[in-house]
Amino acid sequence: MEKVVAVIMVGGPTKGTRFRPLSFNTPKPLFPLAGQPMVHHPISACKRIPNLAQIFLIGFYEEREFTLYVSSISNELKIPVRYLKEDKPHGSAGGLYYFRNIIMEDNPSHIFLLNCDVCCSFPLTDMLEAHKRYSGMGTVLVIKVSAESASQFGELVADPITKELLHYTEKPETFVSDLINCGVYVFTPDIFTAIQEVSTHREDQANLRHLTSFETLQSPTRALPQDFVRLDQDILSPFAGKKQLYTYETMDFWEQIKTPGMSLKCSGLYLAQFRYTSPDLLAGGDGTKSASIVGDVYVHPSAKVHPTAKIGANVSISANVRVGAGVRLIGCIILDDVEVQENAVVINSIVGWKSSIGKWSRVQADGDYNAKLGITILGEAVIVEDEVVVINSIVLPNKTLNVSVQDEIIL
Amino acid sequence: MKALILVGGFGTRLRPLTLSVPKPLVDFANKPMILHQIEALKAIGVTEVVLAINYQPEVMLNFLKEFEKKLGIKITCSQETEPLGTAGPIALARDKLIDGSGEPFFVLNSDVISEYPLKEMVNFHKGHGGEASIMVTKVDEPSKYGVVVMEETTGKVEKFVEKPQIFVGNKINAGIYLLNPSVLNRIELRPTSIEKEVFPKIAAENKLYAMVLPGFWMDIGQPKDYITGLRMYLKSLRKKSSTKLSTGSHFVGNVLVDESAVIGYGCLIGPDVAIGPGCIIESGVRLSRCTIMRGVRIKKYTCVSNSIIGWHSTVGKWARLENMTILGEDVHLGDEVYSNGGVVLPHKEIKSSILKPEIVM
Repeated sequence: MEKVVAVIMVGGPTKGTRFRPLSFNTPKPLFPLAGQPMVHHPISACKRIPNLAQIFLIGFYEEREFTLYVSSISNELKIPVRYLKEDKPHGSAGGLYYFRNIIMEDNPSHIFLLNCDVCCSFPLTDMLEAHKRYSGMGTVLVIKVSAESASQFGELVADPITKELLHYTEKPETFVSDLINCGVYVFTPDIFTAIQEVSTHREDQANLRHLTSFETLQSPTRALPQDFVRLDQDILSPFAGKKQLYTYETMDFWEQIKTPGMSLKCSGLYLAQFRYTSPDLLAGGDGTKSASIVGDVYVHPSAKVHPTAKIGANVSISANVRVGAGVRLIGCIILDDVEVQENAVVINSIVGWKSSIGKWSRVQADGDYNAKLGITILGEAVIVEDEVVVINSIVLPNKTLNVSVQDEIIL
Repeated sequence: MKALILVGGFGTRLRPLTLSVPKPLVDFANKPMILHQIEALKAIGVTEVVLAINYQPEVMLNFLKEFEKKLGIKITCSQETEPLGTAGPIALARDKLIDGSGEPFFVLNSDVISEYPLKEMVNFHKGHGGEASIMVTKVDEPSKYGVVVMEETTGKVEKFVEKPQIFVGNKINAGIYLLNPSVLNRIELRPTSIEKEVFPKIAAENKLYAMVLPGFWMDIGQPKDYITGLRMYLKSLRKKSSTKLSTGSHFVGNVLVDESAVIGYGCLIGPDVAIGPGCIIESGVRLSRCTIMRGVRIKKYTCVSNSIIGWHSTVGKWARLENMTILGEDVHLGDEVYSNGGVVLPHKEIKSSILKPEIVM
């Protein structure tokens, strides 16, 4: 029987400070979107693949950050989920290669590789079938985007009939293609040979040529360590056009979750998806026995929401939250143990764990997910006193706001 | 004798420095802030210091172990499980502060830097025979603070006025108290304010006296005051003809350099600069009115003024940092970067200039 394994790259603490201030308290992969940790969404998608044997999370966070989660999700899904800690960053392909023996334990015929901070519908089963038809070494999930935004990503050129990957370039300055790399791949075990070739080639290069110090400064790779192999630049690019790599296009949504603002947007995308895949997870209510619900809303079973509150659209309420009478919540993520007191209004914001929102206070933002201050973020244990207004601001943990603020970062 | 240092809070005003260590361990003049106070207490014979904390106790406890040995003074912790205000922590530490001897104990606010004339305060306290003594300091703008209204000759305190709208006096609470054990009977174990609840009662019984603090005083809980405080501290070192201050043609005004720091040639350092252990200041660097914390490297030809550079950061060549630029721990500025009041959180690399005051997360 052909077995399949999945590898999810979760990154580590020093990589990227863009998720601050939320990353002060929790590793980004465990930050909740639509009521479930970020990494849960690709994991659930992997569970739908037939003959899935194991799921591996690879990263360089401390093991203890993932122990609880990994054990509970293994139990819940009845499938082994393991966290493998890299001793140092090896790059997206290098990490895969570093743990190849463990990954190949069950002798899988196919290996999925996913980036944890990607938000999409993960059409993995269809992607696997397409990959088997192409019979290449790997298949890359791609999506069409607008020409202007394409340059932020890896751009690919694919043959319209055979779907072969013809050309790949990372963040080009000029327009190459409007098809971009989604950060989701499926490979056959040949990928390990390909990665090893790259490492060996790099070592040979270093030995053969004696670069002058001027050249080493100019070279964009700046002498990367031999075992640091990036999937995009080091594998996709050189293997393009050699009938080894293919593409599978998704027509659904796709976003990268790099900032807190984007996590609010992606939470909304997953909530909308629940309407089709797991409608029982969404809240319902009409204001009589329970609060009025508008649009897609998730409420954790332990949260208490007053019947006169109106919640939604795109609201996710975590464990032990108390939402008082007359509260209005629109477009927000309310994290664990928050208290939202009577008649408060929260719009386009993320309210951090254990925070308190005072009576008649107003926490809001424009809702521009890409702007630096487009979503208001309150860190852990922030107290917004009664009647205070917080607009387009970011507040670091443990602050008490007793005067209104606008367009500010409060340290 | 015993002492309690109110460490409390999260030190949010001193962020980004306090994102890396709890506030009392942030270095001031090359020493953890709280060490200045502990040393002053040890000097007048205090045998045990209790730290009233509520945040990051593990970090504080590790620090204690190191310094207990070095200083030869007993240091313990009293941990609040809920915020107890400015007086509650004193009640919480009751058992540690009373030893049956009837001797008064000190209470210090950890954010404060001053000359700590504690011996004079003990004599003052014995002299007036009251129940409690507090240090007050004269300020230019009393209405920003809580004003202590007192009799000029005896120092007997009449009342406290919080942020007065009209002029009632120019002496404010300096955050240094000497209390008889009987004061503990006046403080309940709940969130209590010493200025609003406890002291006014003692003053009403004519048992509270205030001594005007000679020398400088500063609340260094925020970056601007931290820099001013360093100037005052170094000035006071100069007055005592301290050999700790650097001399030589490369130094201007008062400069404190740790002996393990290395300074290149052609530099001009000062006035009012502190350079911490293991720092490397390369050639041609100009530093004024700034603090350079442990392990920082400042590369050649750079100019830094009115700034604080956090532990283990590096500043590139030909950079210019000014106007309250604060770099957190492990921040790396590239060559030729200009920062006008940039506040940079820990573990960041900055390659482009910051043209106006901005927080970089």
